[in-house]
Amino acid sequence: MIYFDNACTSFPKPPSVVEAIQEYCLRVGSSPGRSGHRLALEASRLIFETRENLSQLFNISRSERVILTSNATEALNLAILGLLTDGDHVVTSSMEHNSVMRPLNNLLKKGIIDLSIVPCSEDGHIDLEALKRSVKKNTRLIAINHASNVVGTIAPLEEIGRISGEIPFLADVAQSAGAVPIDVEACGIDLLAFTGHKSLYGPQGTGGLFVREGIDLEPLRMGGTGSKSESWEHPDFVPDKYECGTPNTLGISGLGEGVRFILGEGIDKIRQHEMALTQRFLEGLEDIEGITVYGPKKSDEQTATVSINVKGREASEVGYRLDREFDIMTRVGLHCNPGAHRTIGTFPHGTVRLSMAYLNAQEEVSQVLEALRKIAMSR
Amino acid sequence: MGRDGDSSGVKREERCVVVLETIHYVIKGEKILKKAGIGIDVIPVPREISSDCGMAIEFSCLDRDGVEQLLSQKGVTVLGLYLLKKGQYARL
Repeated sequence: MIYFDNACTSFPKPPSVVEAIQEYCLRVGSSPGRSGHRLALEASRLIFETRENLSQLFNISRSERVILTSNATEALNLAILGLLTDGDHVVTSSMEHNSVMRPLNNLLKKGIIDLSIVPCSEDGHIDLEALKRSVKKNTRLIAINHASNVVGTIAPLEEIGRISGEIPFLADVAQSAGAVPIDVEACGIDLLAFTGHKSLYGPQGTGGLFVREGIDLEPLRMGGTGSKSESWEHPDFVPDKYECGTPNTLGISGLGEGVRFILGEGIDKIRQHEMALTQRFLEGLEDIEGITVYGPKKSDEQTATVSINVKGREASEVGYRLDREFDIMTRVGLHCNPGAHRTIGTFPHGTVRLSMAYLNAQEEVSQVLEALRKIAMSR
Repeated sequence: MGRDGDSSGVKREERCVVVLETIHYVIKGEKILKKAGIGIDVIPVPREISSDCGMAIEFSCLDRDGVEQLLSQKGVTVLGLYLLKKGQYARL
């Protein structure tokens, strides 16, 4: 089995991640921040260390500002719905995922916000001049994804941070966290939405939002926090303000271990490995007649995510054959991102998306190329 | 349960308790103070102090200055510092 669907969720996870989850389930098992016994304290320590690891990875100085959520979608909804009010203008790009576009579109339809969608080139690069021109007096949020989930194109966060200035800058790093270096200080990022189960190698059901000091969001939910229990007033201090109810402790302990794994390997080493896989894959695809490759087609301008189509074949057919005949896992279709497909010219038919990760090997790239060659050449 | 001479070094007559805003700060404080070699114990917030179902950090009052300084340096918000003397908690 060859797993080239890491943009969807990473698989396998490093063994230490699975061990950490098992360790929690067998030895700790308790809820953090409620009871006072030693197992509950142990659970609280696991959560704390996960925040600390994430802070180290993203250069965040105060780990209590790393709010843990169930996924990037929840993090993005917290940022968008928590920040915006009547009359606000938002700037986003034509490559954004539905987890950004759907909440924004909903606010737009209700007449709460005004929205500008900055165009991107056919290979997914954002037009920075158009971004500058789109900023208005009432622009309250600039929301841009760091790396495309369809073609992998990496956006220049540092330049976008400079353009955003004092306007809150929301970076959606679902596809890049753990694969590409991210520094919230260097890039002037005010809100960083990440998922735990892709390149951070945690399990599903984890993710988070960094909220810079000075940014105040309306919480999505209110409830028990294990603090100020005598009062019906929901806490107004982080992280409790944005985290209530029992957290996914076993998931978060796995995420903590995933981030520890990345810090141990080194983000630069991870990036180099993934670039090498991408480079080999792109070079191999050039030699197969009948295959169209989308995106930058340059390993240093994208993540290890490549979208293709095979001439004369539906993407769904290609994906099906890769799965059934060759035991290769990919994702076909629109990837929850009609905007990106419109931008690259593949709407409504979609693409076959092949997404590699740090735990993939060069040999697997060769095998996938061979499978694609057979499919492209077959009648 | 006697405390005198236990491994945390906290003596019954000299106990101080610091109450923190959230469990996040309790764990952060525990880590910072243990690293600095200060004997501490994480205890449930005494009912006499608060009805919060949170935790607090107990330590020898001899370490009071060190504790306050370290927590302040690392940005750990302290809600209150208390002295336990003859069974009563007095706010410091």
